[in-house]
Amino acid sequence: MSWIREGELTIIERFCGNIIKAGPMPKHVAFIMDGNRRYAQKCHVERQQGHSQGFDKLAQTLRWCLNLGIREVTVYAFSIENFKRSKEEVDGLMDLARQKFSRLLEEQENLKKHGVCIRVLGDLPLLPLDIQELIAQAVLATRNYNKCFLNVCFAYTSRHEISNAVREMAWGVEQGLLEPSDVSESLLDKCLYTSNSPDPDLLIRTSGEVRLSDFLLWQTSHSCLVFQSVLWPEYSFWNLCEAILRFQMNYSALQHLRMWTDSYSFWNN
Amino acid sequence: MSGALGLVWRLLHALLCLQRALLAWLRGRPAGGPRSWLWRRAASAAASCALLAPAAGTFAFRKAGAARRRPGGAAAARQRWRLDGRALQKLPVHMGLVVTEEEPSYADMASLVVWCMAVGISYVSVYDHNGIFKRNNSRLMDEILKRQQELLGLDCSKYTVEFANQDKADQVLNCQSALKVLSPEDGKADIVKAAQNFCQLVAQQRRTYTDLDVNVLDNLLSSTNGFPDPDLVLKFGPVDSTLGFLPWHIRLTEIISLPSHLNISYEDFFSALRHYAACEQRWGK
Repeated sequence: MSWIREGELTIIERFCGNIIKAGPMPKHVAFIMDGNRRYAQKCHVERQQGHSQGFDKLAQTLRWCLNLGIREVTVYAFSIENFKRSKEEVDGLMDLARQKFSRLLEEQENLKKHGVCIRVLGDLPLLPLDIQELIAQAVLATRNYNKCFLNVCFAYTSRHEISNAVREMAWGVEQGLLEPSDVSESLLDKCLYTSNSPDPDLLIRTSGEVRLSDFLLWQTSHSCLVFQSVLWPEYSFWNLCEAILRFQMNYSALQHLRMWTDSYSFWNN
Repeated sequence: MSGALGLVWRLLHALLCLQRALLAWLRGRPAGGPRSWLWRRAASAAASCALLAPAAGTFAFRKAGAARRRPGGAAAARQRWRLDGRALQKLPVHMGLVVTEEEPSYADMASLVVWCMAVGISYVSVYDHNGIFKRNNSRLMDEILKRQQELLGLDCSKYTVEFANQDKADQVLNCQSALKVLSPEDGKADIVKAAQNFCQLVAQQRRTYTDLDVNVLDNLLSSTNGFPDPDLVLKFGPVDSTLGFLPWHIRLTEIISLPSHLNISYEDFFSALRHYAACEQRWGK
């Protein structure tokens, strides 16, 4: 199954999409794609099948985002905490990753057509070596595309990411490249895995859970958080529209607050 | 064409704002009275078929039938609240009260803090993105002590709250709850400060960069000294964001939204706790 589902929106979807696009649109949306296992249980299928359906839904959601002009998407695919799951499930997820990243390398034309730049963020050395190689190939192959960006958080937690950024700055100090007084919020931003992306405007978590689970904690401090009860494999275009409407209702308050925070950091850094 | 779509969008948003205002108005109507049943049905119908119906973790309106006066006074209330806390499957150890509204109310925040204490929550933090509570710390403390007297009666020595904003971490004997008042400088700025301190040690060659990991950085943070990570955040107000509240510490925190902290009732507060008690944490497994 491809990384981006082919196909355009239906007439009604396109019409509603156009109405929504009349308002402010998020430029970067982050997804916590939760609910694959509960979906599998609900449909009486294997967990692996649930995860596979979850990937299909990701492909479809990327398509909708492209259609709506949302150019950057970040997804939480695998947390470092998920290594605690049963060996069977972790191996299954690694196999799924192998399959999908291999597939990605096969569909270069499609990615080139849509101009998708793939980035994989996380503590990649924790992954099996062959997956690291596949990821490296995928990232290198798409690094020059710039029509849209897909960031896949894999073997990722936010605390590891922030610690890694501080470690990089400490390395810089050790090497004599930086003074401790150079350490600031904006420098830390530049040392995060997400340094090439703006902060997400909107974070969506499915399946009804109302926590961040160590995902983009630094980057989403002023983002619109939308928690939806739908299970990820059942996510629909209308769920996405609902989340975007919610973003739009929060837009002016968050813009105002973000500007205030930015000027506060500017004067204090 | 785009002009027409823009108009439709404006109409849609106007309807959503109207719906939100209507729900707030229905919610604000006092319970009781001959037609209260009808109003409650109307509110419930409006909430359930509304677009952007309260998503997971949001409470639309208070439970009806809340008695305004409890017989037996402060002693009975204290007893009741303590039992309420014990009746829950789980209670947060550290509760964050995050206000996203522009004008925070000291009296209502004081009530919330006192209820937290009464129900048995050991650590409470209060936050607003403008740092108003922090700047007016003493006013909030006075209000809390006043509410404590009112709600818990004169014999409230068992419920002394430690105001943990001092730099020294003095332990107060017989202390039931500890309170911290936080602002945005306790969030990202504290992480940056910890990073600077570590880099200073590296510059002095007392540490090397490989010494830093998640646990080391966690220990270097000072904004919540002595407090565990929040288990639960009650977020008040219309803004769907944590607005910079302790980004490092809320990695596993349940975030429950309430429409407003103004004139908040104990029933609304307790409903949120009940909702929290029902949440299942899988810890990544």
